[in-house]
Amino acid sequence: MAAGERYHDRVAGWLTGFAVLWSLLGMTAGVYIAAELVWPTIDFGQEWLSYGRLRNLHTNAVIFGFGVSALMATAFYSVQRTCHAPLFAPGLAWFVAIAWQAGVLAGGVSLLAGWNGGKEYAELEWPFDIAIAVVWVCFAVVFFGTIARRRIQPIYVSNWFYGALIIVIAMLHIVNSLAIPVTWSKSYSLFAGAQDAVVQWWYGHNAVGFLLTGGFLGMLYYFLPKHADRPIWSYRLSIVAFWAFTYSYIWAGPHHLHYNAVPEWVQSLGMVMSLVLLAPSWATMVNGVMTVAGAWEKLRTDPALKFIVLSLAFYGLATFEGPMMSIKSVNVVSHFTDWTVGHVHSGALGWNALITFGTFYFLVPRLVGAELYSTRLANWHFWLALAGVMLYVLAMWGAGVSQGLLWLSLDEIGELSFSFKDIMASMAPYYALRLVAGVVFLSGAALMAINLWMTVQGRAVVRVAPPPVAEGAV
Amino acid sequence: MAAIRNSLSPWHFAGLMARPSKACDRLAGPAPEVHDVILRVVLPLSIVPPVLAYVGGATFGWRLGGGEPLYIPADGLVLISLAYFVALVTGFVSTALVASWMAGTYGARREFGAHLAFVALVGMPAIVASLAHLAPHAFVNMLLLIPALIWSLYLLYRCLPAALGTSPERGMLMASSLVAYVLVAFVSLLGITVVLWSGGIGPALGV
Amino acid sequence: MNAVDLHRRLERNSGWLIFGILFVSAIGGLVQVLPSVLDDSLATPAADAKPYGPVELTGRDIYIRESCGVCHSQQVRPLLAEVRRYGPFSKAGEFAFDRPFLWGSKRTGPDLHRIGGRYSDVWHRLHLLDPRAVVPDSIMPAYPWLGERAADAEGAIQAKMRALRRLGHPYTDAEIDAAPAALEGLTEVDALVAYLQGLGTPGGDAR
Repeated sequence: MAAGERYHDRVAGWLTGFAVLWSLLGMTAGVYIAAELVWPTIDFGQEWLSYGRLRNLHTNAVIFGFGVSALMATAFYSVQRTCHAPLFAPGLAWFVAIAWQAGVLAGGVSLLAGWNGGKEYAELEWPFDIAIAVVWVCFAVVFFGTIARRRIQPIYVSNWFYGALIIVIAMLHIVNSLAIPVTWSKSYSLFAGAQDAVVQWWYGHNAVGFLLTGGFLGMLYYFLPKHADRPIWSYRLSIVAFWAFTYSYIWAGPHHLHYNAVPEWVQSLGMVMSLVLLAPSWATMVNGVMTVAGAWEKLRTDPALKFIVLSLAFYGLATFEGPMMSIKSVNVVSHFTDWTVGHVHSGALGWNALITFGTFYFLVPRLVGAELYSTRLANWHFWLALAGVMLYVLAMWGAGVSQGLLWLSLDEIGELSFSFKDIMASMAPYYALRLVAGVVFLSGAALMAINLWMTVQGRAVVRVAPPPVAEGAV
Repeated sequence: MAAIRNSLSPWHFAGLMARPSKACDRLAGPAPEVHDVILRVVLPLSIVPPVLAYVGGATFGWRLGGGEPLYIPADGLVLISLAYFVALVTGFVSTALVASWMAGTYGARREFGAHLAFVALVGMPAIVASLAHLAPHAFVNMLLLIPALIWSLYLLYRCLPAALGTSPERGMLMASSLVAYVLVAFVSLLGITVVLWSGGIGPALGV
Repeated sequence: MNAVDLHRRLERNSGWLIFGILFVSAIGGLVQVLPSVLDDSLATPAADAKPYGPVELTGRDIYIRESCGVCHSQQVRPLLAEVRRYGPFSKAGEFAFDRPFLWGSKRTGPDLHRIGGRYSDVWHRLHLLDPRAVVPDSIMPAYPWLGERAADAEGAIQAKMRALRRLGHPYTDAEIDAAPAALEGLTEVDALVAYLQGLGTPGGDAR
């Protein structure tokens, strides 16, 4: 080890800060579009405030701004510690961090301006697609470069998940974004119609799989044992779950296309593999739950741990609900309804956001070598987050099941029982409740932002040295 | 401090629900007999919402959303109420079973009677809120059930350590695990219902 | 060598780990997605399907720009109620010229695949510029700017058609030459209405 060598934690700290900002921005956009579904005229005739534009800003800001920044921050932080080596090419790591923020920001502006590739969760147009690919490759270089120079032998399990995130998202993004550019703001997909649908949901579902599930499992596998101060409950289970997850997730996309104009075998295969997916998902949940169960006394001193505990509960819900909704006879009712929206949010709010909040409450004080500013605020945040996500999910279950039932209902003579208009109008109360839920959840996140700001204010990131290489290692 | 085993009745539970600290104390005492809790609390409580749903549905018809209320024929309504009753009993008993199964992991007491009484207490606010079934409009029901569920959540986290005899920290973990179970159980119920619908049982769907 | 030993090797070599992840995650795509992409029957246009004309194509790109697809699907499923409500169910061949596909995943508003010809041009125009003028309970956004802007303000229509021709859409030189003239004097709302009125016509008459 070179003398005076230190971990590069400032870049992780800045990424954490950006992630918090994106969470506020993205969730505010979400709350605003939820309000537009209650009061449709609050876009005031402005294009950039229009539902269609803001909804893309919402999804991109929370997934690529908040989610990916948080993943980059925690990946950079944890890969150094699991490898006992500072980041490979720290300059490149800074480039990744800054270029990603610039990309998401400019991309967000382009979405408001109406640049739109037209594919869900891949709306950014081709110039951004290329920029994303370049930054992503640099991310891979930094991450795998650090692993290559590790000073302890086995590559720790969190790094497999982060690694899978980097590799699989690159593959999906590049294939799904293939298009012929026409102007700077317009391109046409290389695939058309039904084929485009199969490719898009292969991408769309696995962006959820390898980014929102796999990436955050990497976060879980590093930070949960750190919180708990003990190793993961079963290393062997984590191995089995990882490979089963990586293998089976990728098949599940076509459950987004049940009863659509794609071949029957593709739909059925997608459904079967979605059901298979429950096993590795829950194996990981059990591993997490049992790890905390043995370290309960940490809850006394660690206000962040309960976020992680609760995130596992919602992870359990979302990974059960998903396979269930992929069963064709459930999907026939749930597809195209708000049930899907509720399902996405039980994952996004209940799992992704909660585990990230828990991780930040743990990480930020350590980065600056201080105590968390206020445990009380963090506790308030916990209850607001729990209430917010519960209300959200309940509102969407109510809305979704009603829509599914009423759209398909026939009367005694076989005519449709309800007009679309009437069903749509009856959603108003559910949408109002969802708005309340969003505001509650967002206010919790705002408390966190204040808490973390007060924690880091006036402090610098602590410089930490890798542990000395043990005798006989490597 | 009187133990819960001496005062098992729906009325008593309704009273306890409003006074959490007293409820926690009561449940902390010696565990009641399993059959006592089932006969004197779980079954009577589980009858309430289905009966209210039957009365409301038969009198006013269900309004899920827009348009005309949905009148379900009387025999269908009986069947639905019966299924509702079974679902509630299953919900109470299975949650208590899951809780007692988890007890070892979280260092809680093992007596099934104690778990059953605790689950009944946590479910109590929802049972009271089922009064809304008399006005069978989906939204009215949701409006009442939501504060009830939040109260249930509060009772769950608040009373679990005392009622099941574990530390506050492990109680917090166990409560969160139970939240996960209840959410999964509830969504399974939704799933099963929908599968029955699309299989032709229940409302006529054009699938 | 047993599985644990194999894994020990993967854990110790970053190159093998990367390769392993890539290999294992690619299998599903190769077996399931690749055959679909190579399956000509999915890309063969229906007998009466033809590429979008310059006005419809412009309208479609406006539909994409405003993300109409996040609230409106374009996919009628082969279900009795759905066919009743919207018209004949959607078939793969009807989408052969759709880049990207716009099937959607959510119906906050109704499906639009068979909307063509159901309402008059005047109705559509009014509805797009101010939805609540024709549907009082509507929660759709109003799009007043569509009425103010020239349909091909960018002047990109010929470049668009040439790009699509490279992807196999059979536009003739004459059609491409005539495209700007077809858009002359039209506003964005005219183009969008033309696109909506053309929707669903290849699959059969939905009127």
